[in-house]
Amino acid sequence: MFRIALKGVLARKARLFLTSIAVVLGTAFLSGTYIFSDTLTTTFDQLFADIYKNTDGYVRSSKVIDAGFGQEERQLIPISTIDLVRKIPGVSGAAGNIQAFARIIGKDGKPLGKDGIGPPTFGSSISNYKGELWKISKGVLPTKPDELAMDDVNAKKAKFQVGDSVKVVAAGGSRMFKLVGIARHGDVRSPGGATFALFDINTASEFLVKSGFIDSVLLQSDGTLSDEELAVKITAALPTDLDIETLTGAQITQETQDGVGQRLSFFATLLSVFSFIALGVGCFVIYNVFSITAAQRQRENALFRAIGASKRQITQAMLIEAIAVGIIGSVTGLFAGVLLAQGLSGVLRVTGIDLPPGSLVFAQHTVVTVLIVGMVVTVISAIMPALRAGKVPPLAAMRSTALDTAGSIRRRVMIAAAFAASGFVVLLAVIRGADNVLLGIAILLVFIAVLIAGPAVARPVSLFIGRPAARLRGITGAMARQNAARNPKRTSRTAAPVLIGVALVMAVTVLASTIRAEITDIFSKQFTGDFTINADDRFFGGFNPSLADDINALPGVQRASGFGVSIANVSLSGKSKSKFVTVIDPQTIDGIFDIGLIAISPKALTKEGIFISQKAADKNSLILGSTIAVELSDGSEHDLIVQGIYVRDQLVGGYTVSRQLFEGTVVSRFDAAIFVLKKDGVKDSDIRTSLTGVINKYGTGKLLSKSEYIKKQASQVNQLLGLIYGLLFLSVIIAIVGIIITLLLSVHERQREIGLMRAVGMTKSQVRTTVRWESVITSLLGAVMGILLGLGLGWVVIFSLRDQGIKRFTVPTTGTFVILILSFIIGVIAAAYPAHRATKVDLLAALAMT
Amino acid sequence: MNSPLVNTTVAAATSHAVKQYGSGDGAIYALNDISVDFISGQFTAIMGPSGSGKSTLMHCIAGLDQLTSGSTLIDGVDLSTLNDKELTLMRRERIGFIFQAFNLVPTLSAEENIRLPLLLGNKSGDPEWIKKVIDTVGLGNRLAHRPSELSGGQQQRVAVARALATQPRIIFADEPTGNVDSTTGTEILTFMRRAVDELGQTIVMVTHDPVSAAFADRIIFLADGKIVDEMLEPTATKVLDRMKSLGS
Repeated sequence: MFRIALKGVLARKARLFLTSIAVVLGTAFLSGTYIFSDTLTTTFDQLFADIYKNTDGYVRSSKVIDAGFGQEERQLIPISTIDLVRKIPGVSGAAGNIQAFARIIGKDGKPLGKDGIGPPTFGSSISNYKGELWKISKGVLPTKPDELAMDDVNAKKAKFQVGDSVKVVAAGGSRMFKLVGIARHGDVRSPGGATFALFDINTASEFLVKSGFIDSVLLQSDGTLSDEELAVKITAALPTDLDIETLTGAQITQETQDGVGQRLSFFATLLSVFSFIALGVGCFVIYNVFSITAAQRQRENALFRAIGASKRQITQAMLIEAIAVGIIGSVTGLFAGVLLAQGLSGVLRVTGIDLPPGSLVFAQHTVVTVLIVGMVVTVISAIMPALRAGKVPPLAAMRSTALDTAGSIRRRVMIAAAFAASGFVVLLAVIRGADNVLLGIAILLVFIAVLIAGPAVARPVSLFIGRPAARLRGITGAMARQNAARNPKRTSRTAAPVLIGVALVMAVTVLASTIRAEITDIFSKQFTGDFTINADDRFFGGFNPSLADDINALPGVQRASGFGVSIANVSLSGKSKSKFVTVIDPQTIDGIFDIGLIAISPKALTKEGIFISQKAADKNSLILGSTIAVELSDGSEHDLIVQGIYVRDQLVGGYTVSRQLFEGTVVSRFDAAIFVLKKDGVKDSDIRTSLTGVINKYGTGKLLSKSEYIKKQASQVNQLLGLIYGLLFLSVIIAIVGIIITLLLSVHERQREIGLMRAVGMTKSQVRTTVRWESVITSLLGAVMGILLGLGLGWVVIFSLRDQGIKRFTVPTTGTFVILILSFIIGVIAAAYPAHRATKVDLLAALAMT
Repeated sequence: MNSPLVNTTVAAATSHAVKQYGSGDGAIYALNDISVDFISGQFTAIMGPSGSGKSTLMHCIAGLDQLTSGSTLIDGVDLSTLNDKELTLMRRERIGFIFQAFNLVPTLSAEENIRLPLLLGNKSGDPEWIKKVIDTVGLGNRLAHRPSELSGGQQQRVAVARALATQPRIIFADEPTGNVDSTTGTEILTFMRRAVDELGQTIVMVTHDPVSAAFADRIIFLADGKIVDEMLEPTATKVLDRMKSLGS
């Protein structure tokens, strides 16, 4: 039987090929994801190994505030530490190191680097120390307070040359420097596409952070001690009140590699989640193809049964075919993944993230995982059709046609109803207050219910959707409609991948449009000024607080207020927790930004005080007058008195402090945005002109009116939405391939019918129309059900976020419409090849078949 | 009907029709220089043993297959001058087909199947004619049923009605009774006979059954791709005798 099965597989190469495609697509994404993330990890590991090649030790503060998500702020150390380290026996050389926010302004007055998602913009120190990370490739080292060097890539991009004047914005404000050198980082011209402004250590300290402070000290050993011994010696030699730790070169390399690895692994996880979704969708296609071919082979299998093959042997033969498909599909997918990984690198390059060159990493675990997953998925998808094939009665060999039997519809509906009902019961429980985790189970139950009910509803729904086609297209439309409805099981299985894809897209769209509406609402309520100036540097860097003061001094401006974020350790209920704290200017914020303070003016906030949200107050049993210990990122500790409680915490979070708190500390503080309230009667155009003047002089910042600002805040969701859409796109492609394969098999099965139609006068274009509309109806069937399911899913997700302050539910009408149109287009695209094949049916051969 | 070639119109004709498979010494001639006219209003049967070329002849005249050389005229139009679309329209409007089995589109009702060529051309046809055809089929209240709900005889009568629906110049039938029992076969052949006698249609039927052939006005005997004999006003016994003599 094995040999017969294998022969059968090889005899039908076209079918083998079609089935394999579904496996290929699913596994290719998985393989691409693995190869891509392995390559990234290896590349970065190599990069950091190169960078710290000449560094034997690394001295830094041991105090760090970790805000999660890779956001951490380590305390600065005094610049004098460099000299202390140099004097320690065993150290042959040492240099200070600083890496902080700095934005270079291009010749056209626009800042270099991208706004929003993109590589960061850094300012750093550079020296002639032997272990220096940067090497000057053109010009000389910057040594004076008005000199800088720049990374090679961005200097070229912005057409800067040695001798040019360059404006840079950093913690110290905005200032002009003279470009004296072009530098390269290790072996690469610029790491990861980030921009770098490089200064001598004193200038870097004063301009980038706080005068007299640096991030760390890099040092080289004279070789008398091992790196480990030297590190211990240095820590012991330095004054304990500095709170310093010393790492060996190997340790700092490892730590940096791990840090990047962690971020990359998040990225890889995201990618693999979507490749598993794609594989899941692929399962349906594989399952469908096996079911159809099993049905088409019913006679052949019945013949085998009639001449003595057992049920088992028939099932085994089908499974052998599945294994062949699995092997071919996953091996092809494995290699297709290489192309995909290259494509992903290309996408990154387009977004400005330039990766260091290096060949793709094809790890053993990629091969093993992809092959196993591909095989398992294929075989699992084939089990049901294989078992069903075994059940064929030998008598079926005598029957003329073999149809995919739809089973008992009533039983199907009842099972589906049972699943749906239990789903709703779980849902109800959650609404009544049960844990949100149960929502996932509810969603799964309803999804299963829909998939089981599919064949039962496919017929009526297809007939309904096909009605306009029949009306518009006459007999061809009517036939397409009947064709879509004639085999409900097949149609619903073909539509299932579309359904899943659309449901996910729909749910994400619902979520996004709800969040957008929520954001718009929040900002409209809280922001009561006229203009904003946005730094657009995310949580990294921003404006020097003096910019807000400059704007306040403008005629026509009633008030301008800066708004920033800082990381701090806040002691709550006896435990110290890292929190983002919002930094405001209590003197100017009134009337511009309303955080919903209860019965108190923002002016009440002093240097010794803190405002907390109602939620934070309730959670930690704090009241007005309570004292909270706060440790800022420079290690300074402050006991702050709760001076006000507010209710609108969506934007400012739980803790808000005054900008005055930072006076006299070593924290680099930035404003992320400045809000402006104009004087009554001043024309918008006039104030725009004067604000633009200040911004241009400063170098960075984007001026937005109130409505532009709110729109921009709301549209930030779109970036994430775009990413998710992009990742779901692969599932859509698999869905299209699923429709193509099913149509090809259907066309093959209906050769006689098509031949007959052609004989009695159906033109080729009418044949194409019939196939096309069948495809469109199938695709729309998936879309309509997917939209309904997606709306439900979206609602459930939003419901689970009710504690996060999202209380509305917005149905995206435009989005729904776009999805319907896209599904229509998908149907048309998927039909192209099968329709072409249908016109190629050999008339005489088709009619001669019995 | 003693002199069919005089004073009558020709519905379809072939002249020196050759259908050749392969070339050189190994060439096989399915049709070897056949010239024949089919007269309007006549029921013609083409007979011959398997491999005699009778089906090929019908396919070529009907525009389903192409000749190697020679020409085919339908209603005065040379089929070799038509492209695929024109040929399709020719089949739709001027030719009717009745096949052996699986003759109907399973997803359409009986009435839709009858009207299919008209529907494909987006035409309503002659309502009186259609009514007449449908009445003649005698399906009564089963017109809205799907083919799978009809008996084999009923299905085949629907197929004949479909061939009649467009009032074609000529109808080709390929073993129309090949898949039904003899009672049903007779029923269908009677129906075809009536289509010729009462509705004035032209039918060319390929068959190997002498009883079926006896329903025709004229029989053409084929062997090895050539016309070997012809018979007018046949009876089953006469046909059987002739076949015996041809077979020997």
